[in-house]
Amino acid sequence: MEELIKNLKAQIIDALNLEELSIDDIDTDAALFGDDGLGLDSIDALELIVLLEKNYGIRLANASEGKDIFKSVRSIAEYVEKNRKK
Amino acid sequence: MILLSFEAGLEALDKCITLKMDIAITGIGIVSAIGANSQDVLASLKQGISGITNMKYLESEHKELPVGEVKLSNQEMAKLLDIDDYEYLSRTTLMGALAVKEAIDSNGKLNVRGHKKITFISGTTVGGMDITEKYYTQMKSDDRHLRALNSHDCGSSSDAIVDILGFYKPNVCTISTACSSALNAIIIGSEMLKSGETDIVIAGGTEALSKFHLNGFNTLMILDHERCRPFDATRSGINLGEGAAYLVLQRADDAKKEKQNIQGYITGYGNACDAFHQTASSENGEGAYLAMTKALAMASLEPKDIDYVNAHGTGTQNNDQSESVSLKRVFGEKMPLVSSTKAYTGHTTSASGSIEAVICLIAMHNNFVPGNLGWENPMADGIIPTLGVEDATLNNVLCNSFGFGGNDSSIVISSKSLSVCESEKTEYDYEIASSVVIDDEEQLKDYKEFISVAEARRMGKLMKAATITSMKALRDAGVECPDAIITATAFGMLETSEKFLEDMCVNGESLLKPTLFMQSTHNTIGSSIAIRTKCHGYNVTYTQGMISYDWALKDAERLIRTGQARTVLVGVHDESTQTFRDFQTRLGDEPTPMIYSKSIVLKKKED
Repeated sequence: MEELIKNLKAQIIDALNLEELSIDDIDTDAALFGDDGLGLDSIDALELIVLLEKNYGIRLANASEGKDIFKSVRSIAEYVEKNRKK
Repeated sequence: MILLSFEAGLEALDKCITLKMDIAITGIGIVSAIGANSQDVLASLKQGISGITNMKYLESEHKELPVGEVKLSNQEMAKLLDIDDYEYLSRTTLMGALAVKEAIDSNGKLNVRGHKKITFISGTTVGGMDITEKYYTQMKSDDRHLRALNSHDCGSSSDAIVDILGFYKPNVCTISTACSSALNAIIIGSEMLKSGETDIVIAGGTEALSKFHLNGFNTLMILDHERCRPFDATRSGINLGEGAAYLVLQRADDAKKEKQNIQGYITGYGNACDAFHQTASSENGEGAYLAMTKALAMASLEPKDIDYVNAHGTGTQNNDQSESVSLKRVFGEKMPLVSSTKAYTGHTTSASGSIEAVICLIAMHNNFVPGNLGWENPMADGIIPTLGVEDATLNNVLCNSFGFGGNDSSIVISSKSLSVCESEKTEYDYEIASSVVIDDEEQLKDYKEFISVAEARRMGKLMKAATITSMKALRDAGVECPDAIITATAFGMLETSEKFLEDMCVNGESLLKPTLFMQSTHNTIGSSIAIRTKCHGYNVTYTQGMISYDWALKDAERLIRTGQARTVLVGVHDESTQTFRDFQTRLGDEPTPMIYSKSIVLKKKED
């Protein structure tokens, strides 16, 4: 799990062009969206959907499915663990 | 603060008589998924036949997506236009030429080809992308298809239409404000007629389906896999469509003197910016509300005078919710008949404004209201659209078109002339209050004064440059929020578009990046500045090669001269890439500079 979380953070930084951040800057349990955490928005959510398919073979049919999955890096990791195809 | 420009606009309408002049429509032409001429479109609308089908002409991997294709191959269209060499002519050009031809022929009286004061104004965003995406990979390795580059930019598709139809040296101008492009072309044409800059306008828009745009919308996950269901609780997105439509426009007085066959009047219009988000509409539908209210005010009509609204109604969750709110804000309890005709034609994006304006005219002439095809389930807090009315008298209709970046426009079409025009007019003088240029990438290093790191992660060099020059020009002029924003660009967001195209051509039509697509439209710049300055005023983008800036300046001067704006931000922004410069050099063209961005603020001279 820790390895997956580390990989996810690196993939998120790359996919969302968060060049100024390092893996250590992202709190595993902090909110990714909204004003409190990383402050991501709906377009970032779409990028995260592409990230899931590209790296883990997971396809979401509907953007709204991402809402619960993308709460935090930990919630993404848990979802990936259960549903990954690669 | 936010509403200042709108109020100033209304104030100007009261003062300025010329703005209330009616514009006569003396010709119409249409090419769409439900017919390649007005007669066929009428028949499909009356019989409830949708043009949404499986893909036949577009060579995309995404066969699962239904589309609104024009049921003609490029070869068939070329034949109808008597063209032998059509390999590098985009579908955008071919459909556009067919629709313009019908518009001219439907007039019958007008010697358009020999006329000296004629202006062709076309809206498009795809331009020649269908040709570029076909040859892009080969163009990188050999010179054989390099000529395709000449048909890539939006402006060249308009030039090509004029060439095909053999006009006598018209002024050509292309508008690119995403899905509201064609309606803005009609609005700008009307303004040019009112100010006497031209005598005849042919205005509208044309947009071909391309893999680029289909995949782009697909990355945003807003394409329905079944026929679209605007304003329905089960709606699940857009079906992309294609097509073209144009209107021949003249000053009503001229048309009456010439005893033209007048098919209707443009009596009001409004262009406003939602200034909310690059791809989403605000929940309260502010931009749409302002556009409709401006249009009604110009026509001197009350909401109750509107018999039918052709809604933008794309079928996305977001648009239909936001448009419903804006319609309720304008019309209250007394909602006129409303329908979206996109389940017939698909969402023809940049051409949708003129296609739907022509549909309104066809309905007006034949006394019926086209239905919101297939609608069944009311959406929460949504409007209830009409399924069609067979016998209806339409005196005044409202036609909505909303684009990415919140570029919202609305026009009123009336069966009768509403205002008597006198030639008296108020004129205002203007001055250039500030001017800022960036022409070297080094100058982008200190972007942090205006752009946060979080924002910068999504910005290419053009967006950064345009933001810096715009914000500096506004600051130097002492303007926090301009009344209007006018942008000029020859090639638009070349860097992000090329990345998306490269990715699609090399890796195929999956796993593409939405961030690149949402920045690819030409009006990304103007709408982003509007969002930054909270400017809800007039917002357009001109793209006509090297003369884009001239058109933008003319528009800005007109806005101030006629009292419609006191401050206008005008910018000309272009960038290049190594690949693009390599293409240009090999073709023997002067390579476009890597970056050039100039912003100026025009201010009304105070007495």
